[in-house]
Amino acid sequence: MSELSAKVTEPKKDWTLTQRALRRLIGWLDEGAGSEGGKYLEMRQRLVAYFDRKNCAMPDELADETLNRVARRLEEEGVIESETPARYCYIVARFVFMEHLRAAQKGNALREDLRRESHGLAPFEADDDKEAKERLLNCLERCMGKLEMLNRETITRYYIGKERVKIENRRALAAELGITMNALSIRACRIRDKLEQCVRQCADKG
Amino acid sequence: MSKETHNDQTLQRYLLGALPDSEAERLDELGLTDDEFAEALRIAESDLIDAYVQNELSGTVLDQFKTYYLASPLRREKVKFAQAFQVFALKEASVQTAGLTGKTARVRKGAGWFSAVSDFFAPRLALQWGAALAALALVIAGSWLVFDNVRLRQEMSQVQARREVLARRELELQKQLETQRANNTQTEQELARVRQEQERLGQELKQTPAGAKSSREGSIVSLILAPPLRGASQVPTISIKPGSSQVAAQLQLEATDYSAYRVALIDPAGNQTLWRSGSLKPTVKGERKSLAASFRADLLKPRHYLLTVTGISGGTSEIVGNYPFRVVK
Repeated sequence: MSELSAKVTEPKKDWTLTQRALRRLIGWLDEGAGSEGGKYLEMRQRLVAYFDRKNCAMPDELADETLNRVARRLEEEGVIESETPARYCYIVARFVFMEHLRAAQKGNALREDLRRESHGLAPFEADDDKEAKERLLNCLERCMGKLEMLNRETITRYYIGKERVKIENRRALAAELGITMNALSIRACRIRDKLEQCVRQCADKG
Repeated sequence: MSKETHNDQTLQRYLLGALPDSEAERLDELGLTDDEFAEALRIAESDLIDAYVQNELSGTVLDQFKTYYLASPLRREKVKFAQAFQVFALKEASVQTAGLTGKTARVRKGAGWFSAVSDFFAPRLALQWGAALAALALVIAGSWLVFDNVRLRQEMSQVQARREVLARRELELQKQLETQRANNTQTEQELARVRQEQERLGQELKQTPAGAKSSREGSIVSLILAPPLRGASQVPTISIKPGSSQVAAQLQLEATDYSAYRVALIDPAGNQTLWRSGSLKPTVKGERKSLAASFRADLLKPRHYLLTVTGISGGTSEIVGNYPFRVVK
């Protein structure tokens, strides 16, 4: 990892991601699976969640910075064989996070993090903008309408009920679909992720 | 990857920032490099958010959720989404319930959480529930009306059928009554004729000498005539002895298609009716059917005669057979 760190810790400000570099990155992350960019999107989502769990102010930007550095390395080296793509991404992400921490300590990002933290500590329930809720619900209706009927019923039934009732519902649903509870959880989670992305895009459009 | 690394409790503590740094770093790496772990982490996060939305978190976990998890705008968005999604899921379930899909119990049990998070949405859902119940009531009312309509139609059809049967019965009875009246008239006429005959015979009896009367009373000639066969050349012959007063004729019938018959004695030479019976009922003994008629012997002379049988039905009559015979003295 020390060998790696020398090559990826310092960002090159004059380097920008080209179309060719992006294609190379997508192909490398895909590892011949033929996912047509699916692996790239999955990795980006995981990186965003990683930086978010680290309470970074702008997880999306840090995720993109990580992927840019990996793409640059690929451009420069032609191939990365020392690590699997996922692990290499993690190593780079960790450097990016540490840089972010150092910058925060210097005060560049500190004010932003503090502002964000104080906002986070405010009572969440106070944020009850009726218009926003209404808009969110409308977006949800629209996005649910785009789902296939089976996915729509699956996701609806999966999240109904509380505690034991919910568990019983899920067990019955899994039996109906002929899959295990674990497989049902994965399926429901994927549908939910897709739905959440759709709702976020819809809400951003206003 | 060992499952011990991501049991539910560990994942929950990781998501709430409550794990030691070294352990958290290990899971950070797994979150990026291990597909199975990444999936489990997402599910655990969804469950954690849902538990918060449904007021199932308490104590330290609830505090950590509020102070750590909700510190991120991105995660707050996830919670908002979950709130909206749960409301939407309940609404979907209520629609399915109105559609009688048998999910009523699940929806009712989920309503506890719903009341806690959906103050704003309550009027909207109440309206939807109301609409669903109204639709259900309409369906039930409509079904009852259709059912009642069918029942009334069936009852009307049955009444109509009974009326038709009664009308037919009335017609039959009317016909029978008319026939009865006609028979009564014939019977009355026949009675009158019999009385006239009795009166005439009484007069004759008074005018006849006593010796002659006794000899007539003691001499009856019987005559049995079979149905005339086509082409038959043999004519039955009877011998009337002096002193014979009555001829008792028994006429065999081929069929008894009529309830009553009349017999007439015809003199073919002059085509003259010498005697006519009243209404006679046929006698049936086994397969043999016959008519019994009697007339005075002095009406006969040595020559050919004809007994003609007429069937009577209602107001009509028809000749059903001619029985020729020859008289010798």
